[in-house]
Amino acid sequence: MALIVRGDLSLSAGKTAVQCSHAAVQCAFQARRQHARLMERWRRAGARKICLVADDLASLHRLANEAQQANLSYYLVQDAGHTEVPAGTVTVLGIGPAPRRSLDLITGNLSTL
Amino acid sequence: MTAPRANGHAAVHGSMKLVCVVNQSLKMGKGKIAAQVGHASVESFLRAGTTHPAHLDAWLSGGQKKICLKAKDEAVFAELKQAADKEQIPCHIVRDAGHTQIPSGSQTVLALGPYGEEHLDNITGHLKLL
Repeated sequence: MALIVRGDLSLSAGKTAVQCSHAAVQCAFQARRQHARLMERWRRAGARKICLVADDLASLHRLANEAQQANLSYYLVQDAGHTEVPAGTVTVLGIGPAPRRSLDLITGNLSTL
Repeated sequence: MTAPRANGHAAVHGSMKLVCVVNQSLKMGKGKIAAQVGHASVESFLRAGTTHPAHLDAWLSGGQKKICLKAKDEAVFAELKQAADKEQIPCHIVRDAGHTQIPSGSQTVLALGPYGEEHLDNITGHLKLL
């Protein structure tokens, strides 16, 4: 599972962690319904997650599009705006769980957070 | 597997939250922390589906409130775990696989919940926000 954070928002460590975990839970929630076997495999193999960073909102949308075209499950987190950023701000894109190779095709050129 | 306890006050009401406490002694980077908190949240979410389904539903439909706190070291985790067990609050400790940054088996994050906010505040109220 890849969790891609928007670099241009400069979120704090705590905020980043919470936003990533929204994405992770939502992706797991979707996968449990739609890709139950993949989900079990991923969980048993250690539920691997990686945090990456993308430049801005446009990059997140582009990556989300690519995920959709590759038939990978994804979720864009919109913040409720209680702190740090205005309500509705898109903060993190979660993709997966998905086979590593398919994920790398989309996220391979991003750097880790 | 016990669903909500039958001892009165524990029935599902009030707002739910999930608390993730980060072990500060490991000096993890921002990305590492985010991934570990992600592990803690997903695992708590999946486990709650069997152990606390009513709390989970209330949490999911109530905006999935999450909060990140910090603890000095693993000793604080032990205290929190003990307090959570006593109150039968779901508690899960993430142990790192050690692929990066820190030694394998380190306790990185302790997750409490999803559970009633006031119960969680009783045992985590003294901790600071990350």
